[in-house]
Amino acid sequence: MLRVRRWIRTIAAVLGLIVFVGTLPSAAQETVKIGVILPLSGPLAPTGQELRRGYELMVDIVNNVYPELAALGLEVAGWNGIPSLGGAKIEPIFADSRGEPAVGADMARRLILEQGVVGLMGAYQSSVTQTVATVAERHGIPLVNSDSSSPTLTTLGYEWFWRVTPHDMIFDDDLFNLLDGLVEGKAPGVPAVPKDSIRRLAVVVENTEFGSATGNDIVNRLAPERGYEVVEYMRYQANSPDLTSETARLVNSGADVYLFASYVSDAILFMRTLALRGAKPTLIWGQNAGFTNPDFVQALGPALHGVLTRSLFIAKIGEVRPIAAAINELYRQRYGTNLSEESAREMLGVLAWAHALNNAGSTNPRALQRALNELDIPGDQLITPWQGIKFGSRRPGEKNQNIYATGMIGQYQYNPETGGVTLEIVYPFEAATADMVFPFPGWD
Amino acid sequence: MDVVLDIGISGVLMGLVYALLALGLTVIFGIMDTVNFAHGEFLMLGMYAGYLTYAYLYPEPLAGVPVAGLVGMLLGVLAYTLLVKRLLSGPPIAQIFGTFGLMLFLRYGALAVFGPNLRSATQGLVVAKRLVVGGLTLDAAKVVAAAGSAFLFGLVYLMLRRTKLGLALQATAANREAARYMGIDTDRMNLIGWALGGATAGMAGALLVNFYYVSPTVGMVFSMITFTTVALGGFGSVPGALIAGILVGLIEVFTAQVISPQLKLAVIYTVFFLVVLFRPRGLLGAR
Amino acid sequence: MKIWGIIREAFTFSDLSRGERIGLALLLGAIAVFPWVVKDGFARTVAVQFLYYAMLGLSWNFIGGYGGQIDLGGAKNVGFGAYGVALPMVLWDWPFWLGLPIGVAFAVLESLVLGLGLLRLRGHYFAIGTLAVALVWEELFVYSEWTRGARGLLLPFKRAPDYLYMQLTPVGFHYFIAALFVFSLLWLNWFRRSKLGYQLRAIREDEDAAASLGINVLAAKVKAYCISSVVAALGGAFYAVYYGFIDPDSVMHLDLSIMIAMTALVGGAGVLWGPIVGAAVLIPLDRYLGAWFGGGGILGMDFLIYAVIIMLLAAYQPKGVAGLIEALVLWRLKATGRSTAGLRAVGGR
Repeated sequence: MLRVRRWIRTIAAVLGLIVFVGTLPSAAQETVKIGVILPLSGPLAPTGQELRRGYELMVDIVNNVYPELAALGLEVAGWNGIPSLGGAKIEPIFADSRGEPAVGADMARRLILEQGVVGLMGAYQSSVTQTVATVAERHGIPLVNSDSSSPTLTTLGYEWFWRVTPHDMIFDDDLFNLLDGLVEGKAPGVPAVPKDSIRRLAVVVENTEFGSATGNDIVNRLAPERGYEVVEYMRYQANSPDLTSETARLVNSGADVYLFASYVSDAILFMRTLALRGAKPTLIWGQNAGFTNPDFVQALGPALHGVLTRSLFIAKIGEVRPIAAAINELYRQRYGTNLSEESAREMLGVLAWAHALNNAGSTNPRALQRALNELDIPGDQLITPWQGIKFGSRRPGEKNQNIYATGMIGQYQYNPETGGVTLEIVYPFEAATADMVFPFPGWD
Repeated sequence: MDVVLDIGISGVLMGLVYALLALGLTVIFGIMDTVNFAHGEFLMLGMYAGYLTYAYLYPEPLAGVPVAGLVGMLLGVLAYTLLVKRLLSGPPIAQIFGTFGLMLFLRYGALAVFGPNLRSATQGLVVAKRLVVGGLTLDAAKVVAAAGSAFLFGLVYLMLRRTKLGLALQATAANREAARYMGIDTDRMNLIGWALGGATAGMAGALLVNFYYVSPTVGMVFSMITFTTVALGGFGSVPGALIAGILVGLIEVFTAQVISPQLKLAVIYTVFFLVVLFRPRGLLGAR
Repeated sequence: MKIWGIIREAFTFSDLSRGERIGLALLLGAIAVFPWVVKDGFARTVAVQFLYYAMLGLSWNFIGGYGGQIDLGGAKNVGFGAYGVALPMVLWDWPFWLGLPIGVAFAVLESLVLGLGLLRLRGHYFAIGTLAVALVWEELFVYSEWTRGARGLLLPFKRAPDYLYMQLTPVGFHYFIAALFVFSLLWLNWFRRSKLGYQLRAIREDEDAAASLGINVLAAKVKAYCISSVVAALGGAFYAVYYGFIDPDSVMHLDLSIMIAMTALVGGAGVLWGPIVGAAVLIPLDRYLGAWFGGGGILGMDFLIYAVIIMLLAAYQPKGVAGLIEALVLWRLKATGRSTAGLRAVGGR
């Protein structure tokens, strides 16, 4: 009997809690609510946290006056909220997708229908972004994406979806521009190399959406177009307990260049296993994701000397862009690390939203749609070396893609004096911050 | 030929590691017919115990092995006394979901406490070191983990065969009722089984720290393969787990080499399915 | 006419207690008026989720609840149903109604063939066997280029509601899943008092005794396993058009299999309304905890609370809510000094 009574009490308490939380008053009124859907739990939680910081810092810069940034010419730093909306503050409302497409879509519905957001951002994994974009499309609420790189997203003809960030095909182009540049002698500090020393490629990608998209693009489009030979195209099981045989296969393929698309856990395992085998390709490149993650750098340290990674943002850009340096410094004071690609790209997304809101002068969806379609932010407002943010088409069938977005390629370089590893920019060549280490020095 | 030998050896090494992960699970199952879904999370907490010892007490991952063993044992004891003991009086489905809940609890508890980051040991006696034997290059950390696995297997096997406690455990596994009539405290045997299972999982975790990253979700990576190993070897069979572990390691590397790295789990699961179908008690099933 | 007999049977709830009948009527009434009373968008998505999981839980009840065969691979059938609809729609622009029978037929065929092997296993071994089968299917769908692997399938987007492709308004989707749910409920209601249903309960209590009574144990189990797969595949087909995007992770994953079985466990396995109550407890809890705690505060807080509830339930009331109610009724009868001899088991077990 006691047991039953205890149960009733427990259930009553849980119900009470639910009712209580449900009736909590919502936050202050004079704000513009933007829903942000991120993988805050689940396997990609570390990335989710990183992304979230980018949003929070940029929202803070828009909502409050930062004189030192404004002095450098950053327009939104002088704002105290959105000027044309009477100084209304942007209020980001974070929702957790758990990295699942269905949860992402439900959260989007909740944000739109229950919490009355005027716009959406997110949702990192392209599969989640697809379902969120479908919900946004159905409800006519703008979704400005700054963190998903699947090329498909901007070819669906959606009218309420805009992408600030470059997509994978643009990033892959950058890689082959770098390879061609090596042959042509354009790479910083490297005399022209014979094409035969980098002609044979091994493409190693994880088997989910991100990896297969990159792999197929390189293998089917770019390698034949630019005259490279793919000697090994390996799609491997993501989150494998062991990658020994994959590594053996890779080394035995005799490829000159190893190209990876991996999340952080697999990236760490691959590099460690390759190092132990003493693999010696002439070049190693990673398609961002795992290769720029701070945990990756912490785990491998000096062993990364010479490894290349594509990135949208590299902290060293501050040497050529004072705004980037100042924002990076602010970020570092607040969170203790450099801006990463993840946090940087979300800052660009918030920036696009801030300008669009200000240009629209209203939170009406149609007005916002028009403002986003006509958005034109000059390059000097950005922390990346782009010409600006302007949505349009770069390829047939594409729509609402930022036509100025490009990537960068960085190289980890070990400094024996400081004992630290820095990511130096080697591409675009004109923004290079150091001479490129070529060929890859190996692990001995 | 070289390739075959090369990956064959790495398959055996990894297989011994899988066997070690399976050891604790099979011991628990053998004694009380309960599948512990939270086993991968025991392993994960063992890894954290090992890593935190390395990071804050002594910069050598191997020093974390005994600590992790103790932590794992404590975890096993707590899990049994606070939860599993109660589950035993319910239907089998309660046991499945009870330990499933425990798995979620430990995984997300670790996420709340340790944060989502991946941590890795970067220095130590065998961390990122090569061992060259007769022209073959081996990962020293894996060799150590495999040796540790073989050693622990020997220890558990001897304990079960040669000590009074071991015989009592076996008697409980063979026939719970009969064991009780013979004056064996079966409840205590269960407790010891969970302590033993937890301790081996903990030590396995600490050995993994030498070459694997630590994260709150790392248990997920290993739990299905551990499960497969136990089923393949026969639920409750200690030598079976050893053989099955090596088999799984070999299937994994050769599938990746010969067929496709993408299909290695599918092939392991298919073998698992066929074994369950044709020899439900596993290759060396105890009963 | 035999068919009329079956339909009449499916609508007969007379063996349930009065309280249970009132409860069911109230539930069906609430589902019918829900979109007109509740305007809150998120509550509506939660209601759809509830009906979806309740339906999958009902499908589990055929084999897991009444048959006592713990199936940990239910997600594969959801996947077959979803891919059956989505793949032809993406590849050849086939409407929903052409793809639906393909997915369902595949699920039945697969369950028939593999069931003949799997269902010879007992207890834990069956549970683990189903787990392995579901895992292999998931890996194969990830591997196959034809199903577009892990990239998943994005269904063509129609701007206006379309009944051929089943792209509906939120209210339309609500009634669509409600109809599927009611259909499953009626089928299970017929099933539990059919000959097959009694055979399975006999098997659940004692397989050897059932066989000695002349029941063809394997045939009975396989039949129930196939029925279960039909219902799950229907759920999968709904999922595909509702979210407009599927990948192996969302319709074939182990977590889904576990979740399906869990709805039945929480509400009461082998009780007609068990999975419904289970889904009514778990789904809103899961979604609202996720919505409140997921975005901020402690990481994974929602899962932690969820885990504690599961552990408490497994440890203290493994018969789920049905067991709880039984205990309550018993307690009241005793407290008022009445006899408990005539007490019927809940849910027409």
